[in-house]
Amino acid sequence: MNGLERLKRVLRREEPDRVPHFEFMVHEKVRNAIKPGLSLEDFYEFMDADGIGVGDKSAAKCYTVVDEAKRIYRDQWGALVKFSEEAAGIPFEPVIKSESDWENYVVPDPDEDWRYDNVRKMVKRFKGERGIFCGVTDVFDIVKESFLGDIPMFTEMIRNPARVHRMCQVVLDYQLRYVENCRAAGADLFYINGDYAVTAGPMVSPKMAAEFFMPYLKPLVTRVHELGSMCIKHSDGLLWSLFDQIIETGVDGIHPIDPEAGMDMGEAKAKYGDKICLLGNVDCGPLLTWGTAAEVRETTRECLRKGGKGGGLICMSSNSIHSGVNPENYVAMVEIIHEYGKYPLEDHLDNLVVPGSGKWS
Amino acid sequence: MFDLNTIKESIISGNLSQAEELTQSALEAGVTAKEILDGSLVPALDEVGRKFQAGEYFFPELLVAGEATRVAMERLKPELSRSGAPTMGKYAIGTVKGDIHDIGKNIVIMMLEGNGWEVTDLGTDVSTEKFCEVVKEGDYKILGLSALLTTTIPRLAETMDALKEGGLREKVKVMVGGVSINQEYADQIGADAYGKDAFEAVIKARALAGKS
Repeated sequence: MNGLERLKRVLRREEPDRVPHFEFMVHEKVRNAIKPGLSLEDFYEFMDADGIGVGDKSAAKCYTVVDEAKRIYRDQWGALVKFSEEAAGIPFEPVIKSESDWENYVVPDPDEDWRYDNVRKMVKRFKGERGIFCGVTDVFDIVKESFLGDIPMFTEMIRNPARVHRMCQVVLDYQLRYVENCRAAGADLFYINGDYAVTAGPMVSPKMAAEFFMPYLKPLVTRVHELGSMCIKHSDGLLWSLFDQIIETGVDGIHPIDPEAGMDMGEAKAKYGDKICLLGNVDCGPLLTWGTAAEVRETTRECLRKGGKGGGLICMSSNSIHSGVNPENYVAMVEIIHEYGKYPLEDHLDNLVVPGSGKWS
Repeated sequence: MFDLNTIKESIISGNLSQAEELTQSALEAGVTAKEILDGSLVPALDEVGRKFQAGEYFFPELLVAGEATRVAMERLKPELSRSGAPTMGKYAIGTVKGDIHDIGKNIVIMMLEGNGWEVTDLGTDVSTEKFCEVVKEGDYKILGLSALLTTTIPRLAETMDALKEGGLREKVKVMVGGVSINQEYADQIGADAYGKDAFEAVIKARALAGKS
């Protein structure tokens, strides 16, 4: 069974030969520490990743340089974005600051061919062997981060909801077309990323989530299904109170069952394991950054034990392998998944002796 | 007799125009700015904080209440400075070097200002040297350090060390906050207080200022 088959099986909540693993992003610093000199594609192959993450903003042309020294760029929507040594770009000056900005706004063209260069590159290399997972930023997240800015977005949800909906519709139309084009370029699967929650709980009430989040998530999920594909939803944070709504959109999987927000894989499996595939939940915060390899092995084992039974689990980090992750810890997590995620799981996990393997060194 | 509860309720419900008009009416009726601050704005934000922590309010409700507080505060500011009424003091706050997340910091600022603090927002990606320079040259009662990313948390300890090395630690109280930070870490680096959310930050800032 190859990576693509493995991913498709677990997204259908069926048992594959072993629990699959991949990451949406592995920082170059970590990749080079594990195996210097490899291209991104070669690295994924070296780690035997079941899926290949392709971000929707990973193409350099999605940004124009504003101030190289200060790492300030303009994103494709028109917002000013700042990068730091540790952080991926975060918009700090939105594109819509007035009504005239909105009236004169020109939506990017999703049919521009260069947007799909990275997808095609990965398709050429991995098609049919590993699942090519295309990122689609959540409609709400783009309007919040790039169009209005987070605070204006939240206040407009109360003061001028119709304005928020108009912007969401524009972004949704773009993303529907983007998904179609990704699929035409050969993408196998999709992940819709954008946080609905923080560690303390959802950013908005369940009522507002039903009004502003789900009406734009559901059409994306529906279009993905119409195209014969499957998709997962990523949102950090304490998400329990929105879980039912997210599942009702028809999404096939949910990531990351955020451990930093106190979400437990066992609880997710018990409550929702018959409805949706679960992804995550190995903590990429303190654990993968500062924990010991032994602690990572133990946590990964727990994730397999709690979430793997009967299929429906993709074991991976709780967000990404960012620049601060200890490379040794990332390797330890992957080793445990590969060696102890084999089905049937029970025998392996009940008698597990966690090894200190040097396979990747 | 002006009913200060009306201003309080307008803030809790996030009604900007009502908060502004009622604050103006109260001033015209002879209520002092300090009485309005203490009798309307501060209790309103306490109630908003309670609702947020209880899961009754979320970011949108919290932020419109913050905006209503800001417009009321704009009306009070000239009167507060004219009367020489004591404010809470000056508070400098920023997100540490390498981190560019700022919604948490911005909510804290909104709540601090509504409680009568004079806040200087140092922004995001602020170097340790900049924090020290600000403390050295200003007369801040409190320095707030925010960090969301796991990788940037060590910058909090570095800033504490730099303040000590620069002989500035005794000059300012230091508060820390952010997703991956907890009381244990705050104690470990010798911070004066940790705020798990904006409302706890406000309560602890009041305590540090001796006004709880």
